[in-house]
Amino acid sequence: MKALLVCEQREGKLLDTSYELVAFAERLGAEVSLVLVGKEAQAPQVAAKLYLADVDKYGEYSPELHKHIVVAAVLKENPDYIIFPHSSYGWDLAPRVAATLRVGQVSEVVNIVDGKLEVSLCNGKLRRTVSPKGARAVLTVQAGAFNYAGQQSGAPQVEAIEISQGSSALQFVGYEPAEKKEVDLGRAEIIVSAGRGVGKKENVAVIAELAKAFGGELGASRPVVDAGWVGHSHQVGTTGQTVSPKLYVACGISGAIQHLAGMKKSDFIVAINKDKEAPISEAADVMVVADVLQLAPVLAEKLRAA
Amino acid sequence: MLVISCIKQVPDTTQVKIDPVTNTLVREGIPFIVNPYDTHALEEGLALKDRYGLRSVAISMGPPNTVATLKKACALGVDQAILLSDRAFGGADTLATSQVLASAIERLAQKEEVGIVFCGKQTIDGDTAQVGPGIATRLGFTQLTLVDRIEWLDLDKKRIRVRRKLEGRHEIVEAPLPVVITAVRELNRPRYPTVPMRLSAELTEVTVWDNQVLNLDVETVGLKGSATWVSKIFSPERDQGEIIGDGIKDPVGTAHLLLDKMLSKDLLAI
Repeated sequence: MKALLVCEQREGKLLDTSYELVAFAERLGAEVSLVLVGKEAQAPQVAAKLYLADVDKYGEYSPELHKHIVVAAVLKENPDYIIFPHSSYGWDLAPRVAATLRVGQVSEVVNIVDGKLEVSLCNGKLRRTVSPKGARAVLTVQAGAFNYAGQQSGAPQVEAIEISQGSSALQFVGYEPAEKKEVDLGRAEIIVSAGRGVGKKENVAVIAELAKAFGGELGASRPVVDAGWVGHSHQVGTTGQTVSPKLYVACGISGAIQHLAGMKKSDFIVAINKDKEAPISEAADVMVVADVLQLAPVLAEKLRAA
Repeated sequence: MLVISCIKQVPDTTQVKIDPVTNTLVREGIPFIVNPYDTHALEEGLALKDRYGLRSVAISMGPPNTVATLKKACALGVDQAILLSDRAFGGADTLATSQVLASAIERLAQKEEVGIVFCGKQTIDGDTAQVGPGIATRLGFTQLTLVDRIEWLDLDKKRIRVRRKLEGRHEIVEAPLPVVITAVRELNRPRYPTVPMRLSAELTEVTVWDNQVLNLDVETVGLKGSATWVSKIFSPERDQGEIIGDGIKDPVGTAHLLLDKMLSKDLLAI
């Protein structure tokens, strides 16, 4: 079995998800080749064939060109699987490649059991085992779901890939920075995060109080940020920030896979949740089954007294 | 010019439960909602109708009870709602779904020019994020994913400029119409139906197109036309963390136990 891994670089830096794809392919038991639109200096340190297209020529992301580059590598390698990271890059590019090759796609794979792909649905409550029907398939892999344990010391055999410049209807205008951050969770030693379980915007203050009592920062899950209860810079998860503090306290967070991927490397995780079956219990070192709005003020008071 | 919003009726996943004995999805009594991301697709179609006078159409593929979801779209003010429903369409994955939606859009395009097709960025019950791109590819429309703002729409030049939400930054791109746009939540705040609109929606007819109308090869739709198949849905087993105290009956005692635990692990000495 062969897998072509579509690596991603952003602003001149290879993303770690590229190595997670390698870990995923190992679990799949596949022989690996790689494709990257970037520079040789960013090449993943993996002993495998690497098809490298020059980013100066084809852009950081130009959908039509990148699609043709991946397809060109597919024609050379003839892989069973073409695997993308489930980032905005893979999100946009993978279905284009799948449609061009006329093959099926399985998105956001989180696990492999006996060679079968598992994807998460309903906010992580359920999983679905999905199999592609045809001989070839496009996959996207959830960030953080597969850890690369190998040494990043292999040397790729680089083969330059060139395509004739196709025309694209899409015109790139420019990048805009995201809104300015209120907090930098990446530096926090302790993070106390609020989830949908806090119920309403006013209750976020209760969790913020607890964070303060811990001497930590306030984090939040995606639904809380989407609802406008706190600013985006507080968001922990794959679309927010990936954090690894000494202590992470998840308050009323059920634990969608995207959230877990953003905080599971924390040294110690406490989950406070009404539902002891919530997916967060999987990541938690310690679980308290409670109404967080009852428990948080008591805990904050004890902390202040300690 | 038409602006088409594709919407899907999904089970309210916050209420989904698993039967502990059979380990399967309990379907009875779970209410249906419009896929949350699709509410933004719907809203943006209505906003363009209000602002540019485009004709707004909502389409959905699903079983006959999907009429309820399309009536909600009528109550919000769409000019036309079309249900794509046929036994042959059942069991479809995203590839087969985009085939049916694309064919309906093509049919609409025969009578009136289609400018923009909106989809949600993904569904909460399937999370595959491929239907929008699938439609774009089939119809040859330009694909614009993860859009959080329409910068401008120029109907004379037939061009659109949008902002895409990426990790830690945004990308601004321009494209000629027609386009398929997939919406993220930041795109807009969906409106609520007024009472008069809701009442008049009850009287609105939802058009139903089955495969006699669309006339698609049955090998390309539904389960047969799907490139993937689902062998099971299950609740994942978990290694749970240690459960401390009883926080429901005794919050104070439990807070104490938790504090002791954290002190013993030297987590609070900063």
